[in-house]
Amino acid sequence: MRFTLWLLLLVALSAAPASAFDPEKAVVQIFTASQEPDWVQPWQFGSVQRSSGSGFIIKGRRIMTNAHVVSWARQVLVKRFDDPRIYVARVKFVGHDCDLALLEVDDSLFFKDIEPLEFGELPKVRSTVVTYGYPAGGEQISFTRGVVSRIELQTYAHAGNRSLLGVQTDAAINPGNSGGPVIQDGKVIGVAFQGIPGLENAGFFIPPPVIEHFIEDISDGVYHGFPLTGIRTRPLQNPAYRRKLKLPDNGLGARVDSLIADMPAREKLRVDDVLLKIGDHEVGSDGNIVYAGNRLQLAAAIQEAQHGAEVPFTVWRDGREQEVLVPAVVDENDQHRGRQYDLPPRYFFFGGLVFTTASYDLLRTVGASSPARQALMYEIFYRRNEKPETLRPEPVAVSTVLQAESTANLRILPGSLIDKINGVKIDRLEDVVKAFAKVTDGQHVIEFQKEGQFECLDHKAASASNQQIMKLYGIPSDRRL
Amino acid sequence: MNSTHRMLLTALLAGLSSLNAPAAEWENAIISLQTTRKAFSYSRPWQRQSGSANKTAVMIGANEFLTTAEGLQDLTLLRLQKYGRGQWWAGELSWIDHHANIAVVRARDLAFNDGLKPVEIGTPDPSRTGWEIIRWKSGNLERRAAEYNQYLVQEGRLTFMQHLQLEASSEIDAVGWGEPMIADGRVVALSAGQTGNNVRLLPVSFFAPLLQNRREGGQRGLGYFPFVWTPVHNPDTFAHLGLPGEPRGALILDVPAVPAVKPNLKARDLILEVDGNPIDNEGYYRDPDHGLMILENLSTRGRLAGDTVKVKVWRNRAEATIEYPLPAANFTDRLLPFAAYDSEPEYLIVGGLVFQPLNLPLLQAFGQNWQQRAPLNLTKYSDEVPTPKRPGLVVLSMVLPDPFNLGYQDQRWLVVDKVNGRQIGGLPDLNAALAAPPNGFHEFAFMPGSGVERMVLDVAETPAATDRILHQYRIPAAAHPPAE
Repeated sequence: MRFTLWLLLLVALSAAPASAFDPEKAVVQIFTASQEPDWVQPWQFGSVQRSSGSGFIIKGRRIMTNAHVVSWARQVLVKRFDDPRIYVARVKFVGHDCDLALLEVDDSLFFKDIEPLEFGELPKVRSTVVTYGYPAGGEQISFTRGVVSRIELQTYAHAGNRSLLGVQTDAAINPGNSGGPVIQDGKVIGVAFQGIPGLENAGFFIPPPVIEHFIEDISDGVYHGFPLTGIRTRPLQNPAYRRKLKLPDNGLGARVDSLIADMPAREKLRVDDVLLKIGDHEVGSDGNIVYAGNRLQLAAAIQEAQHGAEVPFTVWRDGREQEVLVPAVVDENDQHRGRQYDLPPRYFFFGGLVFTTASYDLLRTVGASSPARQALMYEIFYRRNEKPETLRPEPVAVSTVLQAESTANLRILPGSLIDKINGVKIDRLEDVVKAFAKVTDGQHVIEFQKEGQFECLDHKAASASNQQIMKLYGIPSDRRL
Repeated sequence: MNSTHRMLLTALLAGLSSLNAPAAEWENAIISLQTTRKAFSYSRPWQRQSGSANKTAVMIGANEFLTTAEGLQDLTLLRLQKYGRGQWWAGELSWIDHHANIAVVRARDLAFNDGLKPVEIGTPDPSRTGWEIIRWKSGNLERRAAEYNQYLVQEGRLTFMQHLQLEASSEIDAVGWGEPMIADGRVVALSAGQTGNNVRLLPVSFFAPLLQNRREGGQRGLGYFPFVWTPVHNPDTFAHLGLPGEPRGALILDVPAVPAVKPNLKARDLILEVDGNPIDNEGYYRDPDHGLMILENLSTRGRLAGDTVKVKVWRNRAEATIEYPLPAANFTDRLLPFAAYDSEPEYLIVGGLVFQPLNLPLLQAFGQNWQQRAPLNLTKYSDEVPTPKRPGLVVLSMVLPDPFNLGYQDQRWLVVDKVNGRQIGGLPDLNAALAAPPNGFHEFAFMPGSGVERMVLDVAETPAATDRILHQYRIPAAAHPPAE
């Protein structure tokens, strides 16, 4: 499902929510000037985009907002409620997987006379909430009231490859509301963050368990992210399968269908283990747990753990219950399968060819009609599952060939995946650099992953043209590694 | 045309025209065909529909009528009519070549031939003028002028092979069903398609060797070049290969293991000549009859499967000449067979799990844009060739929901790896595996990827469940072909 991020604004209503103080005073408007890199010509950035969002002040003189409000920011400005001044802010912590960020403002005046907002509990379904923020279409704070419609794992559109706990509400959440607080009984019980086009009266906010995980994560000064264990489970509702595993027909247990390569569960669990309990959460045969009264996918239980923690599993194996501790870790390799932010893309330029990481961002840029698209999709999303033994740490693709006299005869499709250069297997961008340093007969031979395809570059001509092409295209450096 | 080829073609055409009638008597040579055939839904492989087509054929011998193959596959009824009106006569297929898209039909009653006369078949007029496309329409013989556009080598209508075709412009509409194009009193091509005013035709010079082979009692079909090659524009590539002189030759990128060819070409061979025709760096040669043509044409130009073509290559910095035996075009040369004409779709239903061979018609059931619409875990196999270990693929295409298969009801498009521990390369493997379940359970393992990797069914309950599901979903049989 394709998500679009909307920004939320607080609506100032005449009837204040039932609390002893005015939460709107702690709600701020955020103005961001951002610049996203060009994934095809990665040394350059796109035009400066201006956008606005919302945020709120929490204890510790910090502002909480969404990561997508401040991603690729060149400048972040904040404005307090009913204050004409603009303050410069900077991003202190950002979690792109959970779409949360914390900002700091050096000017101590900013926090003067403002009561920071406190966090509450995960709201109940059907309970009333109020969203605060600065949605597009006006300059004043606004808030809207609604009820909690449902609570379940949602795809977080900002990164695109993670599903975390999310709450759906019928309170209006519009572009500009992003980062604003959702309040119940005077406490923050969510951060508004996204909507779904075509779904009316449905906005989504990030609930306290995700927010608290983020805050706890950064307590050591570094944000690690939400961990995974590397288990793919399936419901275990088929009577025959249950009989085969000698499991009673009691509606409990999800089956381990496969285990992801290079992830810790592979060492601790087995295919056809049945997960009966994760932590304190019983696992149903539908693969769900009961979490604060809500039936959620069992991943929600694993996401409670911090990076490096061991998650206790009760599993059914060999006809009996067993206790297993499975480490939960942040999967560094997972990042290329989602949108990336704030770190400009890595690249290496040589002889008119631009080598870069084969990532989801590159895939989006290459376009739907590119003949190289399928291979790129396979590399990014399928290879790890199907042929993990052939997975490369950082698959490398040619994002473009810059047209010049020396490259005019090359026929390389944008997004073509590299197999070898001068006989050196390319596992990461650094290998490209090393491979071009190794010339055998005056010709560099670039072999592509597509069966048999290769191109040659004359070493002397390519080296001689390198500086000329860089000058021609305004490339400041031949690499960003 | 080189002299050898010209002599060969002349000899073939002389043989085909031995029963020729006077050229002007087209009304005595051209007949109408009505065909009805089975049309299959690969998304519901047990269902049958019917398709029909109105075609044209031309008499080339005693009770022999030449037409295109399209519309004659999976044939259920064929009727013939002469003079554009009157009685329809029962007919039958004499011979069909799907790759070449040509066929010969005949009347069951020889009396149909009374008054008809075969026509002469010839090469297209070298001057490329005076062409007409001809057919029966509303009882009258319709003749429309056609003008030469171009010769080209492209994939045929019913095959993955590229072969010679002729494009002509004409005001005639709705042709492409075997209507002959004539010139100087001879048939020079058969129409095989139309886009707007552009009519796609099969020139006689393309299929004459097949007809001659058939007349001589041969069984050979077209041969082809199964290797993958690329044009070379990069002078550095020629330098790397060490080729002296002007840039030339087509570079082979991949030589598939299937079909097996001996002696074979190799990846990174540079094809310099085929049968003495120099190949340029775009992979084209100068054809004496048709101008600049892509090298694939040399695999069918006066050649059939089993013939040898002389390929001069640049290999390991030296010239080498390979006597290359042309492999027969075979739909099972690909891991996902291109087509399965004249056979019904295969399937097997086990406890509501529907298994089908993974082939191109199944993927094409995803619609016109199937390459984008079908799941990548299926389309990724479309360029692969079969191996002895994996001669084909079987896919779980859907689950017919029933309490027996509870928990699996949403699964589909899973490629089968093993069943009951046995590797699956086709439905016969699946049948054999199901006959030997271990421990009272059928165990299905699917290729790692985007869905469930394992399923289990109770062996004892499977037959009754399958029967119940077949009845519930009104499916006539659990398998095609029936399990032994």
